Amino acid sequence: MSGSQTVILGEMPALSKLYVNAAAAAARRRVLGTHGGTELPDYTHEVRSVKAGVANLTAYQHLIGESASDVLPAGFIHALAFPLAMSVMNRDDFPLPLLGMIHLSNKVVQSAPVLFTQALDIRARVENLRGHRAGTQLDVVAEVRAAGQAAVGQEEVRWRGVSTYLAKGVFLPGIDKPSVPVTPPPFAVPDPTALWQLGVDTGRAYAAVSGDFNPIHLSVLTAKALGMRRSLAHGMYLASRALADVGAVRGDSFRWDVAFEAPVFLPARVALDISTVQADGGAWQRSDYVAWNPLSGRRHFTGSVTALP
Amino acid sequence: MSVNGPSVPRPQPAAASTAATSAAGAAAGKTLAVGATSTQLRKAVVVGGNRIPFARTGGAYTKSSNQDMLTAALDGLIARFGLQDERIGEVAAGAVLKHSRDFNLTREAVLGSALSAETPAYDLQQACATGLETVLGLANKIKLGQIDSAIAAGVDSASDAPIAVSEGLREVLLDLNRAKTVSRKLQVLSRLRPKDLAPDAPNTGEPRTGLSMGEHQALTTAQWKITREAQDELAFNSHRNLAAAYDAGFFDDLLTPYRGLSRDSNLRADTSLEKLATLKPVFGKNLGAEATMTAGNSTPLTDGASTVLLASEEWADAHDLPKLATVVDGEAAAVDFVHGKDGLLMAPAFAVPRLLARHNLTLADFDFFEIHEAFAGTVLSTLAAWEDEEFGRTRLGLDGAFGSIDPTKLNVNGSSLAAGHPFAATGGRIVASLAKMLHTQGQVNGRPARGLVSICAAGGQGVVAILEAL
Repeated sequence: MSGSQTVILGEMPALSKLYVNAAAAAARRRVLGTHGGTELPDYTHEVRSVKAGVANLTAYQHLIGESASDVLPAGFIHALAFPLAMSVMNRDDFPLPLLGMIHLSNKVVQSAPVLFTQALDIRARVENLRGHRAGTQLDVVAEVRAAGQAAVGQEEVRWRGVSTYLAKGVFLPGIDKPSVPVTPPPFAVPDPTALWQLGVDTGRAYAAVSGDFNPIHLSVLTAKALGMRRSLAHGMYLASRALADVGAVRGDSFRWDVAFEAPVFLPARVALDISTVQADGGAWQRSDYVAWNPLSGRRHFTGSVTALP
Repeated sequence: MSVNGPSVPRPQPAAASTAATSAAGAAAGKTLAVGATSTQLRKAVVVGGNRIPFARTGGAYTKSSNQDMLTAALDGLIARFGLQDERIGEVAAGAVLKHSRDFNLTREAVLGSALSAETPAYDLQQACATGLETVLGLANKIKLGQIDSAIAAGVDSASDAPIAVSEGLREVLLDLNRAKTVSRKLQVLSRLRPKDLAPDAPNTGEPRTGLSMGEHQALTTAQWKITREAQDELAFNSHRNLAAAYDAGFFDDLLTPYRGLSRDSNLRADTSLEKLATLKPVFGKNLGAEATMTAGNSTPLTDGASTVLLASEEWADAHDLPKLATVVDGEAAAVDFVHGKDGLLMAPAFAVPRLLARHNLTLADFDFFEIHEAFAGTVLSTLAAWEDEEFGRTRLGLDGAFGSIDPTKLNVNGSSLAAGHPFAATGGRIVASLAKMLHTQGQVNGRPARGLVSICAAGGQGVVAILEAL
């Protein structure tokens, strides 16, 4: 994250304000048209000495099925950094409409465990604006370090997350153009290793622990207002549950990837298969997971948790 | 008195005892002959332990479940002894206050831990003796060669306690589930009364007497004429000893911080006899005798978890792990408290003489006494009974008093009055600490240092054990 200018925020921005601001910006664009920018803002937003609330941490751990240990789950850190990531996409010079963006995939490298007692410096920026057959995509990169090490220089990044978002139907000039979708190979439904029963309140429950009150997750009515037929589960809720299901075998440092496909409309039953890959010596190497709708066979997401080299 | 022979008169008919022996002998043959001589069994050793700091109820662990705390304590043990992905012979743990959904509490904690998922586990429940009983049961399996390694553990949360629905509501809900038609369902529902909606919270009352544990102990405390001053002094020593142990780093390899705590939150390092003397009595206020039991000399409700790693000597050696002490033997006892023959928490007063007789030992042969401080009055009543000629003759069948202990050997690194008492976690706390003390002490007068553990439990029960230094 060098080269760009750093904006240090005094505190973690409030997501509720960001969503309201994003809605206002969307309305403004509808009236005035887009502002025409085709470049991502070259700014890194940073908040220093962020600490997780222990009550919130425990509630998060219980909701997604992690044991309430003192180590922050990788998905919890994503939620912790999320408002900062949103604040970058909420800048006036951000060229894409924030509301309605689709979370395509997420890649996390957890290099070292982060305890809830540790104060954290969190940075976020956007990069890699590029085409997609259905619109424009970009990466939001967030990094988490132990607080107070900025002066050291090459301080250790304990957690790094890359979230890829798609602005569907937005084609910026000179960047991309619509293309024919590539037909993916048919999905052969495996035997499930788990079956999740997700109640209609799943989105609200995850919103309460993650702070992500995106209206498409909260209720049928708020989801319909944004063009969804029903509310849908947060992608990071699903991926975090899969990570929890992989379990303690993953250790304290790992790589965690997920690619989202068909959304999970609530309430839902989600079938999951986790398969483990062992190294030559028998040690855990990787757990691959795939989730699908047991009725339709449509795939919801795939991913893996991998030991770091 | 022989080492193995039963030397304290046992009130069981000789015929029954003989029949049991011969039946077992016929079935087990040669194995029993080996088993009957304890010196020929292999040793079960304490490798070490780990617990999380104990927290007063409603404190740092309010939102943590039994499974969370047990998993945290297990993961600390796993990290300390390098047990990641290790298949342990068996893990046993329990909780006294337990949700019905936690029927497989220990196995679930194992699955959530870094142990191999192929580690079997079982739950055990014997009130406050749960933790010590897991140690004894697993040690026996190791001695018999059934397993080579084991983790004994216990956990309790008074904060996250189960609350049951009332009997009335429970019966209605079950009948409702069985009702097939709408009219039948409505009929069942019409039985509900407002009082049925009041929840049924757990309490420490004895089901057969309706008296709380504190009220029971108040009766015993008065019966043995234990003074307020003696109880406060025991409580003061507990806090002082525990604080000194923390300051000396004694718990550095016995404890993993959790939820921001690195010491037991009940510990009052700055307490004094004067402060303790100002507290008002909370139990025994309706007795004829003076009420002497206060919040200061009674243990508070506490949340916490503890674990103990047990192994055969071969397993510990093969894994290059320490061997602190051996689990020599244990004994359970129970008293008829329901009609006041003995005090509710007095069973260890009977268990210890039986256990020591089996090993031809007296109280003078011990270097450490770990007598669980449910209440200061419990410890002092037990010691008073052992020093009482009449009790020794009429209740223990001895020639006179059972004996007395050197008070400087009692709970030298503090006990439950200071640390708190998450019911099932107390046994593991004591065994791990005692094993470390014994190992540090090493040899005494040419024999291994020896420690006695005594834990009283609800239902008029008690479990006691002997550990020896390695």
